Amino acid sequence: MADGIMTRPDTVGDPQILAERRQAAWDEYRSLPMPTRKSEEWRYTDLAHLDPEAFEHIVDAVVAPEPAATDDLPGAVRDVLAGSDSRGGTMIEIDGGVARLELDSAWVEAGVIFAPIALLAEQRPELLERFLFSSDVAPMERKLWALHVAALSGGYVLYVPENTHIDDPVHIIRWLSRAGVMVSTHSLIIVERGAQVTVIDEFMSEDLEGEAKSLNGVEVFGGDGALVNYLALQRFGAGVKHFSMQHANTPRDCTLNSFNVSLGADLARCDVTSHLLGPGSDSEMLALWFGGRGQHFDYHTLQHHAAPHARSDLLFKGALTDRADSVFRGLIRVDEGAQLTDAYQTNRNLLLSPDSEATTLPSLEIAADDVKCSHGATVGQVDEHQLFYLTSRGLTRAQAERLLVFGFFGEVLARMPVDSVRERMTDAIERKIGI
Amino acid sequence: MSEYLLEVKGVHARVEEEGTDILKGVDLVVRPGEMHALMGPNGSGKSTLAKVIAGHPGYEVTGGEILLDGEDILELEPDERSRAGIFLAFQYPAEIPGVSISNFLRTAVNARRSEDEGDIGVLDFQMALNQKLELLRVDKSFAARHVNDGFSGGEKKRNEILQMAMLAPSMAVLDETDSGLDIDALRIVADGVNTLLEADRSMGVLLITHYKRILEYLKPDFVHVMLDGKIAHSGGPELADQLEEMGYDWLHEPEAAPVGQP
Repeated sequence: MADGIMTRPDTVGDPQILAERRQAAWDEYRSLPMPTRKSEEWRYTDLAHLDPEAFEHIVDAVVAPEPAATDDLPGAVRDVLAGSDSRGGTMIEIDGGVARLELDSAWVEAGVIFAPIALLAEQRPELLERFLFSSDVAPMERKLWALHVAALSGGYVLYVPENTHIDDPVHIIRWLSRAGVMVSTHSLIIVERGAQVTVIDEFMSEDLEGEAKSLNGVEVFGGDGALVNYLALQRFGAGVKHFSMQHANTPRDCTLNSFNVSLGADLARCDVTSHLLGPGSDSEMLALWFGGRGQHFDYHTLQHHAAPHARSDLLFKGALTDRADSVFRGLIRVDEGAQLTDAYQTNRNLLLSPDSEATTLPSLEIAADDVKCSHGATVGQVDEHQLFYLTSRGLTRAQAERLLVFGFFGEVLARMPVDSVRERMTDAIERKIGI
Repeated sequence: MSEYLLEVKGVHARVEEEGTDILKGVDLVVRPGEMHALMGPNGSGKSTLAKVIAGHPGYEVTGGEILLDGEDILELEPDERSRAGIFLAFQYPAEIPGVSISNFLRTAVNARRSEDEGDIGVLDFQMALNQKLELLRVDKSFAARHVNDGFSGGEKKRNEILQMAMLAPSMAVLDETDSGLDIDALRIVADGVNTLLEADRSMGVLLITHYKRILEYLKPDFVHVMLDGKIAHSGGPELADQLEEMGYDWLHEPEAAPVGQP
């Protein structure tokens, strides 16, 4: 293990399974070379500065004995709680440690499990044995994934039993409190046959004086006919470098949708993968980002069609201003047997300043011969005809630009499955545009 | 207060970064409550004049003045001209996907309010909007649609008139509002303009058109003909009939001009 590991009070310690996985991951991390910018996958984001030795790792599985009182929570977290309509369940993580965890008693009775990973190892070890860290992680992502597992600070398991529909979203708020730390969190979502749930993972911090790292792994496993909406809202402050690796695994007739919003952090690297493993499976992958300052967003997506008759639809839209830059590198991969695949991939970028830059690299790898696939990408500026039209109605240029940015995002925001989140994100974008 | 609402005096203008003037000394005055029709063949500069009045950044004014209520507006940005009372109904309105008409209009209405007034209340705005929709006999659901996104030609023009109704300009310039409309759409748009004129009898209108067709529904006080970047002739409504009969060619002969200045 790296130096600088901190142990805190209130820890339950690693259960055996976690200790084993951690050690194996650490061995793997050390055996793998650090990806360099010579590889396509890491051409635009330099991992050299990742240097885990330079950060204090928080790697114990902390479970607070008592839930934190609302007054003790950071103000920004309290604000989110006040505006959230997530009566399904709520969890607040502070630097990977669980500060509060609530699940409506009706769902507890229905057999829903919502618990820190470390605690679940005692109650349902077979679930962890079967699912934890079991996603098919691409070779170029493995180094970072191994670090994420080895350095795991905390995380939750959400288990929804067969045919159980959780109507209100389950909301996880992850707060990062200070500079100098590396926090690694995991989301393991298991949704049995015919069950339905919407999960919101929200990442937040204040602007930090110094640097902090956030690693996050997400694994969603659906059962036949299950429906999961997974939302990741990244609203870190300045100073944070965030790495998110998301894997959705869809069997027969299962629908797993993801929605990523990135507004914060200095650097956000986000690998979003849908493994379409069963016939009739479906995945809608949406994302929007708005970058300012010198922010860097790097999105890698994979729509992996391993089964016939599946559909995936990706729409990623980003707007950039100041000196921000973004990368979209998307791949649709259709395996040989995956006939009658429907797969779409669209990335659109809007540049609001001369110093902002967007790179877009959509691609297809198709080994089946009866498929419908399309990809499209654009990088554009605000349209002068639209601007003149709006200003001729009395809007200032700044107001007109703001309206055009909203119009640009509107197509994605309209597909946001949770109304209260749409409103909050609209407000957050509005504040960020700052007009 | 000037006697004139709009004064265009000897205006020369060109497309930015191109060498030759499109407008070559345009003179035109509009008093409050007057409707002027501006006719002329394609490429004579009618639409350029409309854009220059509204402050299109793609045109450079190389000479002359444009006054609104006696104040020079050439130095004003398009949004400032709008707030001063100019309205341009576009020949080709822009499509703004993702932005509802209602959201757009609320932003435009708020842009005209002083800091002291603050933003218009949601209910007040809704009532004002509903009233205009009713006045123009447009279904309420129209305001929830995205601005011109996927609209037919007629719907786009109707949206222009709705905006005009909400923004209540003192001087409206309608740029080929009739082009591309079938007869039913044309009547609806013309009825809308007439309704607004009844509500505000001091509004000035400059109606730019290609065809006499719309003049069966809108009754201008004056008709002007633009040829090669200048007003070549001006007259009363009867000039439109002559143009219909004889085309524009006879106007190239100065001695044939049958109509005096209004």
